[in-house]
Amino acid sequence: MVVKIGGSLLRKASDYVYAAENIKRLFIENNRRPIIVISASKGVTDTLIQVAMGSKDKLIEIEDKYLDMAHELGSARLIQRVREEISRLRKIVENIQSTDPSLTDYILSHGEKLSKIIMVNALELQGVNAFELNAVDLVITNNKHGDAVIDYPATSIALEKIYHIIKERRYVPVLEGFIGRSVEGYVTTLGRGGSDYTATAIAALLRVDRVYLVTDVDGIMTCDPDLIPSAKLVKYMSYMEALEAAMYGVKGINPKAFDPLEKIYGSNVYVGSWKLFGTFISKRINEAQRGPKLIVIKDTGDSSYIAIVGEGVSRTRFLRNLISIIDDLGIEVNGIQSHVHRPSLIVYVNREQGIKALKQLHRILFEGD
Amino acid sequence: MNTTKIVIVGFGNVGRAFARTLALKRKIIENKYAVSPVVVGVVDSKGMAVKSEGFTDYELLKLSELPRSGVNMFSPYARSYVDLNYVYDVAQPDIHVELTPSNYETGEPGVSNILLALNRGIHVVTANKAPIALKYEELTSIAKKKSLYLKFRSTVMGGSPLIDTLLSLKSEDVERIDGILNATTNYILTEMHDKLMDFNDALRKAQSLGIAEANPSLDVDGLDAAAKLTILSHVIGYSVKLGDVRRESLSNVGLRNVIEAVKEGYVIKYIASLDVIRREAFVKAVKIPRSDLFAQVNGVMNAVKIKTDTGDLFLMGKGGGGLETAHSVLDDVVTVALNMKRVV
Repeated sequence: MVVKIGGSLLRKASDYVYAAENIKRLFIENNRRPIIVISASKGVTDTLIQVAMGSKDKLIEIEDKYLDMAHELGSARLIQRVREEISRLRKIVENIQSTDPSLTDYILSHGEKLSKIIMVNALELQGVNAFELNAVDLVITNNKHGDAVIDYPATSIALEKIYHIIKERRYVPVLEGFIGRSVEGYVTTLGRGGSDYTATAIAALLRVDRVYLVTDVDGIMTCDPDLIPSAKLVKYMSYMEALEAAMYGVKGINPKAFDPLEKIYGSNVYVGSWKLFGTFISKRINEAQRGPKLIVIKDTGDSSYIAIVGEGVSRTRFLRNLISIIDDLGIEVNGIQSHVHRPSLIVYVNREQGIKALKQLHRILFEGD
Repeated sequence: MNTTKIVIVGFGNVGRAFARTLALKRKIIENKYAVSPVVVGVVDSKGMAVKSEGFTDYELLKLSELPRSGVNMFSPYARSYVDLNYVYDVAQPDIHVELTPSNYETGEPGVSNILLALNRGIHVVTANKAPIALKYEELTSIAKKKSLYLKFRSTVMGGSPLIDTLLSLKSEDVERIDGILNATTNYILTEMHDKLMDFNDALRKAQSLGIAEANPSLDVDGLDAAAKLTILSHVIGYSVKLGDVRRESLSNVGLRNVIEAVKEGYVIKYIASLDVIRREAFVKAVKIPRSDLFAQVNGVMNAVKIKTDTGDLFLMGKGGGGLETAHSVLDDVVTVALNMKRVV
């Protein structure tokens, strides 16, 4: 299986230890051999973008953050490794002021790399035989810096060499998410949320059945809980639904991540936290699992629209039911849009009515009211 | 399974990449060639780690994660001093893999290390160019006398089998070799052409990306390319001395020269040439017609044209990054392991 750990779970040294404990508890002790894909510590990528633009203060911030973690986790080796990476970064920043995208990607890659070094150390402290894999050696991309696309055949060839060591031994590889290397040999990055994309691409290319995307929430929610505190977990979703949700900007889903799963191999995706993997995303869902999965509101100037996402919501029967619900609730609608090929339905409302309508629809659709 | 014991001497980028590559590809190599290379010692400038029964793959991976000059931290196998004789005595290696940095003034520590290994009856694979460029005659004659291998495939165009190709040209006479043999200077020139950067900015960028060294003189003043040309001259049996290769620094080429060349339909490339017939060897910036094959060789790619009395060859490939060079070194190790005489 492939396990991707999000940056929001990696803010301080104890978070890495906690992650390592959970990897041991959930996977190693159950005789599973995970491949760990790691993000940079929360906020580091943004800070590194400022470093790339020449901010030396921000570099000190990064240095303090990772060195503090290294000191907390102990070993002299680790501290020296972190120092080496930071001093490489410092040389770059002192050497050049450039917004050249290839340099920016190279600078950004240090965030994930440092995170990887610390994660391997934390796993070893738990007695797990972990080792570093280099994303730049394995994840081959096109040369679109900042938003690169993974070259599946080239990456597949590179992955073959790690296959044996993962298959036959008990070593746990840890590699950087978000980072790749162009065919020409330069470091690239995969864009926002790129770590998920790394995880699913590796899973699909190695024909691995399970991908765990570990984050700070228990799964995908039926609605943004800041708007609707009674929002619930979405238990099952299809790739199609997840992609549609991503297009409406739902947090925790990166549309690029589904590309390898669609094209290469349909691994199952589990989204959640160390406590609960609440959402299961698979290539197909059965008839009983169809229907509305989540609801999103978006403002577009004067008006708002509410999107209901789920396979089957553009069918006539659902539409008829929805219209009668809207009629019963007395919501004033500016328009309804659906298409048979898309797993979503859009209801346009006046902006001032939006939130109220959202809450009412959420209650009827998801709260069994 | 034919177990071959290896000592790695010099543990920078290439050494680490070699240890990782061996750990990750061991199964493939074992299955394909029935050869199992095991590392019994790793030596860097400050210390060494020795394990006579051989490091496990996991230990190799962990060695490659040590800080620079940190082999002496690898307890319980670490020693805080360097003594190759001790490693040889304890671990009895078959192959010495020399990966120390190239020093073109004295060839050290590479020359002494290789001499010691050969004199103790140990085969040598080196990625260090200086000993081969400076002391080819001496080193190969000792190896020959002792019936030992001295392999150095990774020293020129680390990512491509150039030296093997040249060695295989047994009846052809090589008349001329021209090459883009240095990745750093080719990268700098590519940036100057594509982005109209001036030389210093392109150099700084190459340094930032880790393509050029902090001291770029080896690359920019042509010494690296000249050393490679010297090695090629030894291989084809027409030895030139490193000091006899005429060098013109790339730093003399400004953005203005690049723009003028482009206007005239040329590009500028930093070419190393060995002309056997005219008896000359040089490294200099040359104007190349845009239609020429060399004009298509950009970034960190390398290429070489070999002119023989029967025709021309053109070989192109990535210059030696850590990973490519490590693979070339491993190729040599496997070749030696497959062919060496076993002492029963």
